[in-house]
Amino acid sequence: MATPGATTLPDDMAGPIPPALRGLLPVLLALPVLALAEWTLGASPFATYLLSVVGVNIILAVSLNIVNGMTGQFSIGHAGFMAVGAYIAGVTSLSLKEVALSFLPVAASDQVLFVVALLAGGVCAALCGFLVGLPSLRLRGDYLAIVTLGFGEIIRVFVQNTEAFGRALGLSGIPQYSSVAMVYFWVFLVVLVARRIAGSSHGRSLWAIREDEVAAEAMGVDTTGYKVRAFVISSFFAGIAGGLFAHFVPIINPGSFTFVKSMEIVVMVVLGGLGSTTGAIVAAIFLTLLPEGLRSVFGYLGAEGSLAQKVDQIRMPVYGVLLVVLMLARPQGLFGTKELWDVLPRWLPRKKKGLS
Amino acid sequence: MSQLLQHLINGLASGTIYALVALGYTMVYGVLKLINFAHGDVMMVGVYMGYATAFALGREAQRSLWGVVIIFAVAMGGCALLGFLIERFAYRPLREKPRLTALITAIGISFALSYGFQLDIGFLPGASPRAFPEVIVPTEWFIIGDRDVVVWNWQVISFLIAVTLMVTLQFLVYRTRFGKAMRAVSWDHRTAALMGIPTDRIIALTFMLSSALAAGAGLLYAIKDTSVSPLMGLYVGLKAFVAAVIGGIGNVPGAVVGALLLGLVEEFVVGYAASTWRDAVAFGFLILVLLVKPGGLFGRVAAEKV
Amino acid sequence: MSVAVTSQDAMLQASGVSIRFGGLKALTDFNLTVRQGDLLGLIGPNGAGKSTAFNVLTGVYQPTEGEVRVAGQKVNGWVPHQINHLGLARTFQNIRLFRALTALDNVKVACRAQGALHPVKLGQVAKVGTALRNYRDWWRALLLTPGFQREEHELTRQAEHLLEVMGLSHRRDEEAKNLPYGEQRRLEIARALGTRPKVLLLDEPAAGMNTREKADLMVLIRRLRDEFSLGVLVIEHDMKLVMGICETITVLDHGETIARGAPAEVRSDRKVIEAYLGDSYLESHGGAA
Repeated sequence: MATPGATTLPDDMAGPIPPALRGLLPVLLALPVLALAEWTLGASPFATYLLSVVGVNIILAVSLNIVNGMTGQFSIGHAGFMAVGAYIAGVTSLSLKEVALSFLPVAASDQVLFVVALLAGGVCAALCGFLVGLPSLRLRGDYLAIVTLGFGEIIRVFVQNTEAFGRALGLSGIPQYSSVAMVYFWVFLVVLVARRIAGSSHGRSLWAIREDEVAAEAMGVDTTGYKVRAFVISSFFAGIAGGLFAHFVPIINPGSFTFVKSMEIVVMVVLGGLGSTTGAIVAAIFLTLLPEGLRSVFGYLGAEGSLAQKVDQIRMPVYGVLLVVLMLARPQGLFGTKELWDVLPRWLPRKKKGLS
Repeated sequence: MSQLLQHLINGLASGTIYALVALGYTMVYGVLKLINFAHGDVMMVGVYMGYATAFALGREAQRSLWGVVIIFAVAMGGCALLGFLIERFAYRPLREKPRLTALITAIGISFALSYGFQLDIGFLPGASPRAFPEVIVPTEWFIIGDRDVVVWNWQVISFLIAVTLMVTLQFLVYRTRFGKAMRAVSWDHRTAALMGIPTDRIIALTFMLSSALAAGAGLLYAIKDTSVSPLMGLYVGLKAFVAAVIGGIGNVPGAVVGALLLGLVEEFVVGYAASTWRDAVAFGFLILVLLVKPGGLFGRVAAEKV
Repeated sequence: MSVAVTSQDAMLQASGVSIRFGGLKALTDFNLTVRQGDLLGLIGPNGAGKSTAFNVLTGVYQPTEGEVRVAGQKVNGWVPHQINHLGLARTFQNIRLFRALTALDNVKVACRAQGALHPVKLGQVAKVGTALRNYRDWWRALLLTPGFQREEHELTRQAEHLLEVMGLSHRRDEEAKNLPYGEQRRLEIARALGTRPKVLLLDEPAAGMNTREKADLMVLIRRLRDEFSLGVLVIEHDMKLVMGICETITVLDHGETIARGAPAEVRSDRKVIEAYLGDSYLESHGGAA
């Protein structure tokens, strides 16, 4: 039996990878892959843009899944937190535009400032998440839906009334620091965080809250505390996604972060399966590329030019109908709470069954 | 002073309209414990029905008393039907499922309606707002001083219509067999079913009633704003919902008081601060109320039965 | 809160507790003391206020009057998880397991929730430090620090032990909802024990069990009390079970305590017979009165 504070580890924890390294190994493996990706894709602006959009949507979906999927709460204002991150990071970058860290080459200095801006955006979004989450998460689940929705509106009105954020016109001229590698580094990070939370005792407490809040509370789980913390982490990554977004689009304005955007993310999470991280990823990729695909198919067919333009318009009501149909026919979404490897064919290597 | 009076009047006028919509949220929440997110959008559909009817009637007929009655009847009847269909085919199959499923469905319906109506395919009206016909020709009925305080005829008329509808509702809920059954279902729908109350029918009727009320309120709102747009349901609906929560959701008089309060607060912000902040006020107010008095002004935070 | 508690001290004490819902008095002047090693019963007809009493003791409802003390600490106004941390655990009348979690994870949730976190009282914004410490705890999980891995391993070991005690080892990786009814009840007890309670409240543990299972349950409850040094309070409808294992029985009717004493005394108490046991009991047991 391992006594608390003992430095030796139980036998079955020993393995080819030393425990101290296990925490960081995925990061060390991911970095060269990202560098390679950047090197091969850097040439095509369209591929870069599309991949970045997909990446940002993955971050949004996976982070929302922490609240809506794992914890069983229902936030429908994720775009609001994204907006906070985008504007704060954007303003930070704009005001640091002239600054250069003299001890670094210019490109490296820019990237350092970029990360600073991203973190500023993420932290502000997390703070907003705390302020919004605390009152509403004390109450029953439906209140969070309303309050997050309202929060998005408040942010929109606030931005439209603030000179520093460019009012309704938006912010332009934000330095285009973003790269595929940076976006996917954060994608990788949010997935890692989501998976590690899911597999840890914190994750189990979140699942417990999702399953039965009264019982969880009676078993000593500080339900409000866990819900607020899950919400804060989720908001942080939404802010990061917003910050990344602000650094590869030419302009951000309040129109980029409306209720429609929030709903898009919700649909991704529900379609993928509430509680499934890989489900959220698959759905995010699918729903981001689908309109692009439809557009180019219609464009290729040529004759129906107006139809190609309507793709964007039709997308919104289709999302709504999709939600209703999903709830009636397959409320657990594509994967339920399972992960991709749980539903893969039998001959592929599988992980142990269970939630975590 | 007269400015204050004017704001009071305007605030009460919009407050009563919010109240009618808020009552729909509260009633449905009462019987199903569901936030009917689509409520505001059902209202919007009703307004478009009224709009189409007004056009069909033509310019002269729509201004006559009978014209107005027909417009209201068509919109309210059509919405009752819509409410019935939504309940029957979207919510009823989910009644025994986790609450989240019904909530997501409601959000889905809301989204499908509010963005579906923005398409310009077939009979759908398209995204841009349209002018709502002046079915009640605006007249100044009551003026103090040199136009210091103005009360418009539509303000009085809509106030009277709203109050009439509310009194009728109060009578319906507390004085009729239907109302008694509805309150029983709200208390515990399984036990109510065991007592021989036709739960399904009561819930369907509640939906129809609340949708009809919403349509009436929507028309009054459209007359006040002289415009109709696919997104009006989302905005009016949300504010009415906020009003219902402020009053304590599930509480009928609470919804009315919350709505009047919200109408007044909004009007005062527009009047004394900046009109651009109007849309943020409702939610700021909501977060404040939830922080200080989580159950709403008149509600209690009901502990879940263990 | 680390008051030294001897075995003679009351682990759970309710004094003069009343609770009203609107005009209805659900519980009136309720008094109860549970010490370590006690095995007490709480009975009464349907709607007598038994479950209400449980809910007041565990913090689900707040008492209108009177006070509840757990391990010497007054807990009026506390929320259930804080009271649980003081050493009070419960099961539910209508089983409330975490249905989609495995049996092992159900217990691990309870094991973990105890102790490791730093409770933050709502409204105390000043305690930023405490709040941040909770986040640090998440960071350890994210970085998979060796200490964290060790802790996880320890939790698994504890949970496995509890499953073994309750005879559920073979169900370790099964989702709770797939367990048969009797095993679900036992899993609930295992989960409650995971929080390392000093007092265990069992809400109708024998509901839906057959005679054989009930007999096993009686043995089990006694064993748990001794093995885990618990005080146990049981709500139960099954007279044979309550009379068989409880040393003292409290009888509620319409929210009021109408009798208290050893099973034999309660059984022959006129008020109890009138209120609860009724004629059928008298007939089947040969008329104790």
